[in-house]
Amino acid sequence: MQRKAGWLDKFVDDLPSQGWFQFLSRHLVVPYWIWRDPKPVLPGGPRPSVQPSESVQRMMNLIMPLKDPSPIGRARAALAISQNVDEIFAGLDNVGTVHNARFLLLDGNICMLSVYDGDFSNYIRDFIATIGSVFDAVMKEVEGGDAMVPTTEHIEEFIDWVCAHDLFQAPDIATDLFNLQDAAKGIAPGSLPHDLRLLPRELILQLHSNPNISLGGGYRAYPGYSAAQVRQKFGVGW
Amino acid sequence: MSRIDHSQLQGNILRGYRFGLVRHMLLEVTDRATVRAFLGVAAQGGGAEVPAITVDQPPDKTWPRDQKPASCFNIGLTFAGLRALGVAPGDLATFPTEFREGMAARATKLGDFGESAPRAWSQPFNRPEQIHLVASIHADSTAELDKVDTQVSRAFAVRGRLDGYALAQDKVYFGYTDSISQPKFSHVKDEVEPIDPYGTVLLGEPTRQEGLKFGVPTPQVLGHHGTFNAFRVLRQHVTAFEQYLDRAATELLNHPDSALVLPLDAQFSDGEKPLDRHGMLREVVAAQMCGRWRNGVPYGSSPDTMPDPASVPLTEYDYGRGSRCPVGSHMRRTNPRGGAIVQRIANYTRRLVRRGMSYGPIHTEGDSEPEVGLLGNFIGASLGAQFEAVMCDWLNLGLQDPDITGANDPLIGANSSETSWFDVTLRNGGTIRLRGFPRFVSTRGGVYTFLPSMPAIRYLARLKG
Repeated sequence: MQRKAGWLDKFVDDLPSQGWFQFLSRHLVVPYWIWRDPKPVLPGGPRPSVQPSESVQRMMNLIMPLKDPSPIGRARAALAISQNVDEIFAGLDNVGTVHNARFLLLDGNICMLSVYDGDFSNYIRDFIATIGSVFDAVMKEVEGGDAMVPTTEHIEEFIDWVCAHDLFQAPDIATDLFNLQDAAKGIAPGSLPHDLRLLPRELILQLHSNPNISLGGGYRAYPGYSAAQVRQKFGVGW
Repeated sequence: MSRIDHSQLQGNILRGYRFGLVRHMLLEVTDRATVRAFLGVAAQGGGAEVPAITVDQPPDKTWPRDQKPASCFNIGLTFAGLRALGVAPGDLATFPTEFREGMAARATKLGDFGESAPRAWSQPFNRPEQIHLVASIHADSTAELDKVDTQVSRAFAVRGRLDGYALAQDKVYFGYTDSISQPKFSHVKDEVEPIDPYGTVLLGEPTRQEGLKFGVPTPQVLGHHGTFNAFRVLRQHVTAFEQYLDRAATELLNHPDSALVLPLDAQFSDGEKPLDRHGMLREVVAAQMCGRWRNGVPYGSSPDTMPDPASVPLTEYDYGRGSRCPVGSHMRRTNPRGGAIVQRIANYTRRLVRRGMSYGPIHTEGDSEPEVGLLGNFIGASLGAQFEAVMCDWLNLGLQDPDITGANDPLIGANSSETSWFDVTLRNGGTIRLRGFPRFVSTRGGVYTFLPSMPAIRYLARLKG
């Protein structure tokens, strides 16, 4: 039988809504824990999985900071996409494993969001092998991009760079965060006990290291077929 | 004329030696100065106490009979090995990520989980930080292997030895003739497959994909004309494989479409004795799973009978729309040749040089059968773009064709009997789906190594500090 909450329970439960407690947490408790238990930046992109039988689809949320985030710089980035859009789409088509891709200007970033099948590195490598010279125009507008132009001659660096600028994908099962944080510190997942009650604190600390993240695997209206399987079903050729 | 200086390449990259025996020594650098001195002598033709590193020769020439050495000796270094020899951190950082992380860290991508997971790997692979060099000795006698082994052991701490041998007729333990098709570089003509550019295996050379260059680690002398190797110890579960062939043949024998798998009047032998229909269907299943009959004949060239391999071209064929060779077969997955694939620009771009020898039997208490398998080397200029790309998307996911997506390679894939499936092709274009086969090949260990050029080995020998 559940115990009736006493005054102390009610006090503690009410703390998060108290202004003084929020102030204390923001300016004292959280900075203390960031100092005490800093979290490594968790890597971007999908994590390798053992048997992706349920879905072969993967997400990319690539956030590329612009060299010049002013309206002029953002306009240059927009032009770099729009002037080459046919080639970029043809390149994505030739990769063969891409479901959809789109570009956004978001504050001082140009973002490429896409859904693709299988391995991340193969997707990026084949994309660059097909239209690297065109994508170089985009990279020239991006902070740190000059060092990777031409991308066809810096393919490994470019793949690592994209991985570092792809958003961390938060696990669908919240407690998996413990394992990911352990793995980032070189600790074998599952080898340390974790107190479930500390999960909110771990999330707050992680969001300090990874301010922008993708929340879970997202919604799918149909099973996770490959792009080629979908095209085959529609009879449009793959 | 080739601008590749073959005298400056290690000899085990562009060709196989065709010796009967191999010994791979897994070595740790415990005394940096001693190892550097060893490498310096080894790269300058060897000495009384140090074997010479075998270099390549013009590959259109074989060794004259009287000039073939008694043994060949080559080395590969792990990332930990390069660090142990004192390569500067800034240069170490220029090696590709997958090599820096090492094979064990890439396990999930490679299908190494469950019984193949690195935590289950045998010694010394369960301590990858101790493996700095893999030294490979090829010879025709154990005495020659031992002679070089003794010389090597003086300079290194030996963490493990793996002995392999060539089975008769280039067979592997599942009974297939192996090593038939390899990348062909500019010196060999082939009527069907295109020539592979040297950049397939040599860093700094143009690759198959126009303009695409793999990064050459710095300094130039260290990285140029080096290559990478995925060294794998692959256990073959022979009993499980043969038992599954029995089961599948019985299923096909009793299937209403049995005549579409193999004509009812088909007659062929296994090379020694005539086979009954069940025996022939066993061979059909083995052939469709591999893409070749077990005697080496491409299945697509002769789907209704297993002919004498001397009577059929073994490498000159392609996978057209009507090919009976299943798209899910091992060979077609690992090299789709000119056949249609989803990744339209990837044909011929993920080629690997394969060098392997069998090992075993190893008797272990509690093991249901003696361990046998393959000591495999999978060589390419980019582990990520070649070895891992094949292992991940083609071999274990089947992304290259929507008809096989979600199924793993039937022979060496990371299968489990609960989920595995493979479509046997029929004469009318239809298929019969086989299910329930276990994993036939499991990983017992492995490391990624860098195979340096001769100038690179001399550079390593000259490092200070």
